[in-house]
Amino acid sequence: MTSRICNKAVDESALRGTAAFLAEYASLLSGCGATCIRIEKNARRLADSFGVEFDISIMPTHVYVSVWLDNPAEAVVAFRKTPACGISFNLNAKLSCLSWEVSDNNLGLTAATERFERIRRTKQTGKWETLFLTGLANASFCRLFGGDVIAMLIVFISTLAGYRLKQIMLEDKRDIRLTFLCASFFSAALSAGGHIFNIGSTPEIALGTSVLYLIPGVPYINSVSDLIYRHYLCGFSRFLDAAVLTVCLSTGLCAGMLLLGLKWF
Amino acid sequence: MCNDILINIFEDGLFAAIAAIGFSSISNTPRRAYLTCGLIAAAGHAIRYVLTSPEFGEIHIIPASVLASFAVGVLAVLFAGRIKCPAEVCFFPALLPMIPGMYAYRTIEALLSCLYHTQEDVFGHYFYLLAYNCMTCSFIILGLVVGATVPVFLFKKLSFTATR
Repeated sequence: MTSRICNKAVDESALRGTAAFLAEYASLLSGCGATCIRIEKNARRLADSFGVEFDISIMPTHVYVSVWLDNPAEAVVAFRKTPACGISFNLNAKLSCLSWEVSDNNLGLTAATERFERIRRTKQTGKWETLFLTGLANASFCRLFGGDVIAMLIVFISTLAGYRLKQIMLEDKRDIRLTFLCASFFSAALSAGGHIFNIGSTPEIALGTSVLYLIPGVPYINSVSDLIYRHYLCGFSRFLDAAVLTVCLSTGLCAGMLLLGLKWF
Repeated sequence: MCNDILINIFEDGLFAAIAAIGFSSISNTPRRAYLTCGLIAAAGHAIRYVLTSPEFGEIHIIPASVLASFAVGVLAVLFAGRIKCPAEVCFFPALLPMIPGMYAYRTIEALLSCLYHTQEDVFGHYFYLLAYNCMTCSFIILGLVVGATVPVFLFKKLSFTATR
């Protein structure tokens, strides 16, 4: 009798550890911008490998994980807040690799947790590298929309300035909506110089493109992907987040144009 | 004439590749994926450019985006395994240059203009601009994602074992 109670306690403690790990894993995957289908598939792969039955509920800001052995009535539930770690495909890829590694090599919970903690400490892409590449990318965007070389140069400079402001404000933990508004205002005000001083033949394209680096493309794409998989809550939440940021960047653009006396309506 | 078209297609693909690599760095894409993302983006954008150009039938931007994104999805699934990344790591940055950013903020501009103007005919004009830009933008995004996601399902085994 005592041994059965003991075994039950050990089982429950192991289940709690597994549920906590799976919740941490799924919430980090959700925070780094993975789609709901990937979160479900990866977490289920891990749960199968650990030999537990599993269910998951992904909410816009939290993840709930439930695991059990034989009897669903004795399920252990863990839930975690989605960390605001920013979109990271690097983390997404590493976490997906981890799920296969655990599943193919039958790694236990301790080894999986160790590797997970190592992945959690992954550094982000260098800020200067991102700044330079974003400037180049937006200048290329300007070319794709029909801008000339001077417009590309204006967009490159205004993107560098605006993106640097965004980096500084996010490092200072400022509100992301305010950050988007200020960065787009700054970029628009700088690129409006082309219009005011009549530089180049396509100043309006430079002005229009200068804020496009702020368009939250990944959340927009993720939201439709979630809607297709019938994760309506997450899909709608991601879409609204992206729409609010788009409104902020448009407001910043319009404010910049109004301040410099450019007519936009 | 033929050379000009080829140069335009190449130029379009090149700038789309630079844009994809740059924007993928914002999303912390692994460096090993840069080249693949760039190539897939170049192929996708060049396909859309060809489909929408007057020389090749001038297809509307929405179906052209769907076809181009389908090609992007197929390429992403095929190449994801080589760089050990999920397929979306390859196709998201490749789709970003095709996201209709101009339509998105023209929608907001038209919305603000609607609020500013009260005269019926002027309001009607901006409301038309609002509806046109909003619908075009929404359907392009929807088409892009559906087009790129379908191959993930068609090649399900390849797609979800890319990081193995």
